[in-house]
Amino acid sequence: MLLDAEAPATLGAVVEAVTRLSTLSEARILELVSAGKIGELFPFKPAAGQPVTQDTVAEEDLLEACATPLTPVQREALVNASLPSASTRRRRSSAKK
Amino acid sequence: MESTPPRRFVRFAPSKFDKERLVDIRVTDMTAADAGWWDVRLAPKLARIDGRADRHWSWSVLLPVCHLVQRAKRRFCRPLVIWARADDRRYLRVGMSILIENYPYLDAQRPGGSHFAWFLCAADAHVLREDFAMSHPPALGRVLLDDAIVLSQNAGCGGRVGLHAARAGRDALLSVYRRCGLLALPKTAELPRGVSRPNDGRFFYADERVAETLAAALDASR
Repeated sequence: MLLDAEAPATLGAVVEAVTRLSTLSEARILELVSAGKIGELFPFKPAAGQPVTQDTVAEEDLLEACATPLTPVQREALVNASLPSASTRRRRSSAKK
Repeated sequence: MESTPPRRFVRFAPSKFDKERLVDIRVTDMTAADAGWWDVRLAPKLARIDGRADRHWSWSVLLPVCHLVQRAKRRFCRPLVIWARADDRRYLRVGMSILIENYPYLDAQRPGGSHFAWFLCAADAHVLREDFAMSHPPALGRVLLDDAIVLSQNAGCGGRVGLHAARAGRDALLSVYRRCGLLALPKTAELPRGVSRPNDGRFFYADERVAETLAAALDASR
């Protein structure tokens, strides 16, 4: 899936799909996803060949999530880190145990 | 007067194969790299297990979609990853969740905010043992719910949480949530405004009292 602002056609389709999904309840979306039908509403697939991280990490490399609400800046970073293009970044730094 | 420090996430959970043994666990925020790893390394093995609600879940798609859909609804998702210590002392991803903050509380008689546990999954213990060298995978049902309860408490929602048990999880999933101590929302109950789906009898929730009881029971593991 490429959510690229430089690709208006892709971005437009994403906005359209998100708008459509936003009309559904969370329980309905859960059922669609569990039935393998999310592709019908959000017709995108992750780009093939994305690097996969190693199976395990050392404890010192884990940045534990904080159990309190995030700040707006931290939230923004978390949303950005959900996109494939952010996959090579270091683990996000919004959290502290 | 001293204020109570916020509760932390749990850092130990009992082994699935030896309840007397505690396994180190850690919680991180979920990124695309976590979702991609799960989809490539673990999901194909889980998809072969009949009755799992998450057999068709693609976290690489779910993660950005959930963020975007909730943004459109002016809410925020908090996706988390649970890691557990494997035999080589390093940490492996064993659980994933996507929570929604400030979601309508499912008990419509008491309007308010809650946290909604939208997507929850724990890796199969046998897969972890046989394919990922983890002799003692943690039991994660209570941990996944506790993360939602703790976030709800720390956000001022009193620990109130709700969830919908996917039909793909069949009756077994209903039993899991009952065993975890959640309250089943009666099928005759009205859903709050903002939750448009008809009540199919698969909604569960925790009120403040239940949430505190469940959270307190794990305080020694934080």
